[in-house]
Amino acid sequence: KPSREGAGVVLDAGIDKISITWKLSSTGSKKEAEFKTIKVKLCYAPPSQVDRPWRKTHDELFKDKTCPHKIVARPYDKTTQSIDWILERDIPTGTYFVRAYAVDEHDHEVAFGQSTNEAKTTSLFSVQAISGRHKSLDIASVCFSVFSVLALLVFFVNEKRKAKIEQSK
Amino acid sequence: MGDPTGEPGSSMHGVTGREQSFAFSVASPIVHTDKTAKFDLPVDTEHKATVFKLFSFSKPHMRTFHLSWISFSTCFVSTFAAAPLVPIIRENLNLTKQDIGNAGVASVSGSIFSRLVMGAVCDLLGPRYGCAFLVMLSAPTVFSMSFVSGAAGFITVRFMIGFCLATFVSCQYWMSTMFNSQIIGLVNGTAAGWGNMGGGITQLLMPVVYEIIRRAGASAFTAWRIAFFVPGWLHIIMGILVLTLGQDLPDGNRAALEKAGEVAKDKFGKIMWYAVTNYRTWIFVLLYGYSMGVELSTDNVIAEYFFDRFHLKLHTAGLIAACFGMANFFARPAGGWASDFSAKYFGMRGRLWTLWIIQTAGGLFCVWLGRANTLVTAVVAMVLFSLGAQAACGATFAIVPFVSRRALGIISGLTGAGGNFGSGLTQLLFFSTNQFTTEEGLTWMGVMIVGCTLPVAFIHFPQWGSMFLPPSKDPVKSTEEHYYASEWTEQEKQKNMHQGSLRFAENAKSEGGRRVRSAATPPDSTPNNV
Repeated sequence: KPSREGAGVVLDAGIDKISITWKLSSTGSKKEAEFKTIKVKLCYAPPSQVDRPWRKTHDELFKDKTCPHKIVARPYDKTTQSIDWILERDIPTGTYFVRAYAVDEHDHEVAFGQSTNEAKTTSLFSVQAISGRHKSLDIASVCFSVFSVLALLVFFVNEKRKAKIEQSK
Repeated sequence: MGDPTGEPGSSMHGVTGREQSFAFSVASPIVHTDKTAKFDLPVDTEHKATVFKLFSFSKPHMRTFHLSWISFSTCFVSTFAAAPLVPIIRENLNLTKQDIGNAGVASVSGSIFSRLVMGAVCDLLGPRYGCAFLVMLSAPTVFSMSFVSGAAGFITVRFMIGFCLATFVSCQYWMSTMFNSQIIGLVNGTAAGWGNMGGGITQLLMPVVYEIIRRAGASAFTAWRIAFFVPGWLHIIMGILVLTLGQDLPDGNRAALEKAGEVAKDKFGKIMWYAVTNYRTWIFVLLYGYSMGVELSTDNVIAEYFFDRFHLKLHTAGLIAACFGMANFFARPAGGWASDFSAKYFGMRGRLWTLWIIQTAGGLFCVWLGRANTLVTAVVAMVLFSLGAQAACGATFAIVPFVSRRALGIISGLTGAGGNFGSGLTQLLFFSTNQFTTEEGLTWMGVMIVGCTLPVAFIHFPQWGSMFLPPSKDPVKSTEEHYYASEWTEQEKQKNMHQGSLRFAENAKSEGGRRVRSAATPPDSTPNNV
């Protein structure tokens, strides 16, 4: 669950947190004996996958690009686990949900659970990325640009003057 | 092969042992060395170098070569600097596939216009100013990546940076003023090829610079912006070097020579007319769109393609993508050399066939690249495709200097612009929409290359022939002088404005091929430098 609730709330990367809680579902799982580690990941919801083939969902897990952002990986124990996670600064702007994969000792995914429904339409939350811009960067950029133009003009004017002097000789 | 009249200089080729190899120097009695000129390299009657010494910096010829290709390469670095960083940039700016495709189109579109203008600038003001102005005035566009916050800004900045690719025109033009026509294929091919290498260098350079900045503590979305400062600084440095160390012509700078009355000032309108009414110009515009154009398109899409399709890391994809652009180091000069070599035996007809063969082969390898399903076959196909496309570029510009003497600048500009137009078109058609996957796009691009290369067959020179037709039998029309002098009106000829073209025609006789060389006795009108 996000730290702030409400429709239309957008979380800021690098600032806001999400709290995630996971446990084995009440219906149990046939493969519970194989669970070794639980990997919790941040996943793109369908609106953030439109027109972006590099985030496409594939049935084959190793090709699947839905959940690229790792949140935490913890060894499996049967108790309820939770974590408060600050959204990292390289999370892009988009709509997300959370998924927890259970992996066995060979690092194969055997089961998973997610914070949204099968169609990935409920309980989604939005994140706004950092812009990556900085004032100091902007200023440096302007300074170097001005230097380039000025240096050119100085050279040009200088040479024209020298050519005139040559011609009048 | 002794020279009957013992013209000083012509029998000296190869004797000193300093000339590197045959194709690097002019060894023909048709080209008369001017021994009165005081240059480090042997020169012809126009004071253009007849020898290409790669590792020398001798003034003015080789120095021009190095300044020219390095500044051109810098522009390639900055134009394609965004491409290997797209996987990061697309997350920062929330780009869609269409945005990325449009930015790619934008990056090559700006220079369609600027290359045309640059052609005129070179004809009127000289290549040195053209190069320096462009490089230094485009530095601010590179720095302005730090301000970009969305798709619109990204597309706009890539469009503006793309203007600097017009340095291609100043580079080729500058080479044509400094080197004799018999080696111009190799020289232009090398200068442009090494310049184009920048498109490969950037695929390696930018991810590395980005990584270093990240490790120094910056977050991902800031690090890529800082990385753009590196190409920006390169622009400034190269601009200053060109201004301080370069000169327009072997004998000096244009402004000084014009004022001294040695170089005639020409009219833009006239030059434009002769460029535009020569049908060969337009065939080359199309052809170059499918050698250089597809090279540029590939520079923009290939890193992301390998990253996404074969699940590679960013710097691995960058490394493979770099191989595509870096093949220019020898591929383009090889194309120029192949053209010069075939001209030795078959003259201009050899050059035309060489161009067609190489460019078509490139197209077929591009089809293979699109259909390759494993990483290894994809890399092999990509490398072969790069060799074909880039050698074709070299072979194209081995012929362009012969299309016109008076309007060389504009024609070079138009051809260069055609390259960019082809690039924008192929990116728009095949890589910006959801209609084709990238691999399908590559396949269709290959098919289009093969189709658009067929018009080479229509290029015909009355004095030299074409792919399927021999030269004209008419005794007047079949001379080089007639072809090049026909660009001047009678009034202009009376004012002797066409002298430069006549000198060029004399030096261009070697394009007749073996029959011309074996019949060679220097004309009696040759000045004997006693």
